[in-house]
Amino acid sequence: MSVVVIGLSHHTAPVALRERFAFAEADIPGALKVLCDSGVAAEAVILSTCNRVEIYAATTQEPAAAFAALKDFLLRRGAETQRAGAGDGCQWQPQPKAAPDSPRLEDRQQPESGGATAPGKGPEAVIYARAEPESLRHLFRVACGLDSLVPGETEILGQLKEAYELARKNHFTGARLNRIFQRAFHVAKHVRTHTNIQRGSVSVASVAVELAERIFSSLAGREVLVVGAGDTGEKVARALRSRGAGRVVIASRTRERAEGLAGELGGRAVPFDHWAEELERMDIVISSTSAPHPILDRARLAPVVERRRGRPLLLMDLAVPRDMDPEVNFLENVYLYNIDDLQTVADGYLKLRREEMARCEKIISENVEALFRQNALAGLAAGRGLNLSNLRKSAQTAD
Amino acid sequence: MTWLTDRHFFLLAVVIYGLSTVYSVFLWRRGFRRDDHVNYFLLLAGFGLHTVAMVQRGFSIAHCPVNNLYEATAFITWTIVAVCLVLGLFRRLRFIGAFAAPVLFAVGVFALMPELDRQPRGPGPEFSGALTSLHAATILLAYGAFGLGAVAAVMFLVEQHDLKFHKLRAVLSLLPPVQRLETIAVRLVFAGFVLFTVGLEAGRYLPRPAGVAYWDDPKVVWSAFLWLVYLALLAARQMFAQRGRRFAYGAVGAFVFLLLTFWGTNLLSRLHHP
Repeated sequence: MSVVVIGLSHHTAPVALRERFAFAEADIPGALKVLCDSGVAAEAVILSTCNRVEIYAATTQEPAAAFAALKDFLLRRGAETQRAGAGDGCQWQPQPKAAPDSPRLEDRQQPESGGATAPGKGPEAVIYARAEPESLRHLFRVACGLDSLVPGETEILGQLKEAYELARKNHFTGARLNRIFQRAFHVAKHVRTHTNIQRGSVSVASVAVELAERIFSSLAGREVLVVGAGDTGEKVARALRSRGAGRVVIASRTRERAEGLAGELGGRAVPFDHWAEELERMDIVISSTSAPHPILDRARLAPVVERRRGRPLLLMDLAVPRDMDPEVNFLENVYLYNIDDLQTVADGYLKLRREEMARCEKIISENVEALFRQNALAGLAAGRGLNLSNLRKSAQTAD
Repeated sequence: MTWLTDRHFFLLAVVIYGLSTVYSVFLWRRGFRRDDHVNYFLLLAGFGLHTVAMVQRGFSIAHCPVNNLYEATAFITWTIVAVCLVLGLFRRLRFIGAFAAPVLFAVGVFALMPELDRQPRGPGPEFSGALTSLHAATILLAYGAFGLGAVAAVMFLVEQHDLKFHKLRAVLSLLPPVQRLETIAVRLVFAGFVLFTVGLEAGRYLPRPAGVAYWDDPKVVWSAFLWLVYLALLAARQMFAQRGRRFAYGAVGAFVFLLLTFWGTNLLSRLHHP
């Protein structure tokens, strides 16, 4: 019995094509049942996320035959399914297109503008299929986040675990897939602890949070001031709140927006003209106004810094043209980052992850080889499937 | 291993601190990104040998080993390593060892100079053993705390500079947050100051050889001066908000002054070097 994988991902297909094959969580047990009943798979797991739809199957058939049957299954389903929509759990993905914060991410070569009419690239062409040991390698790479849009992202591991659990709970996995998936989770954990692949973040909002954590002993109790109505500023404030920052004060020319956001984040809104009065109490200031000239300069900030008695002040100037005079950075205990600086940090993290990928691939290769050897040696023992027919088949086949 | 004297053990410890220094450069080049246990275990090994050296010396003279410059310096470095090991139990503070290693190695090499390890000549003054040990031990612990405070201050200055000027390595490194480094530096200096005060107070009550006035002794004057310097540093921070960089520079400067003048004044002092 060998493990194969077929599917499509953001590497091969635009979202317009992918969504036709997406599985809603409620539909997966049914689909797995069809797969296993048809005999093509003894054990199966279906993984369906915004960026990939994959079927992992332990099959007794020859890989070529299994591929054909699985592709057929997927294509037929794709033809039947209506638009699934990017529903469950897709919001978390840092879709580069939507995020104005990371314009330089090189990974953004996915053909987003696919549209329903994707001439020349039919569904057949975008489905990939892998047999052992490549299927194992693929699974490990996916679990470690190496196959993701942003290398090293961690959400995919959670999704993979959920997909596996769903299949296992409904008894669609057996010894083979159990062992392989457990090993995949183990490798992902190993990679997380022993490499830097998952360190740092590549969106401006999370970079801002990381910066704050480098400066302040603890984010708890830190007060945040958001000046201006920019989108990115709001994202940064949200990110800070989610990491434990204290109260948020919003100052925006559009009063409704300020109050709305303050309500959402559990803070308060102040009239735009009074934002400077808040400076003394604030530890983190995010500004993204559309003012054509700096709203904060050294002369204005210097006395405030004096009164703060040495508490650090993190200023994030997300606006273009800049809201804060660069001279401000030369004041004691002030840390000024503009949008370029934050982007440089994000790029640095991305570069770090790329460098780490080589190490991760090495770890993955070692694990794949070990598993492959184990399977070869284990022979019949590995073929202990769930149904009797498998037991008979494996008794006959030399694994 | 009875043929290995305590100085041999100390030498081995210093060699290990040297290895730790080399490794720390390697960590620095990688930007303190890898959370490495190697350096911690190196320091632990050095500490073990160092402790053996001190215990051996202590037993051989039947006193707390703080009686000459060699012993005193060995004691200071021992306390610095001990504090590094304790702080290093916290993952986020582990890199303090990497910064302390060069100081340990340099001071350790200095301590190994033969002239420093002289047996006290002539009839020893009749010191009450416990009080002398208390005096010497607390003062040396104080120096150790000042030293480590200076190390933390250097880390603070480096990280603060890197963060201010948007250096990537500041964000990628695993060093503690800048604010915490400042807090650690202040606490260490404060702890050192308290120990220093206790030690000096104990020293006032030690019996003196005849004809030696307390305030005439260079070391006493020097110590008083040092005490005032640290008092001023801590007070300035508290009362005049001289925080951040100014305090850090002060802590480093005071400790450098201490290092440079310690041995000189000790040699000149009749109370300490009869």
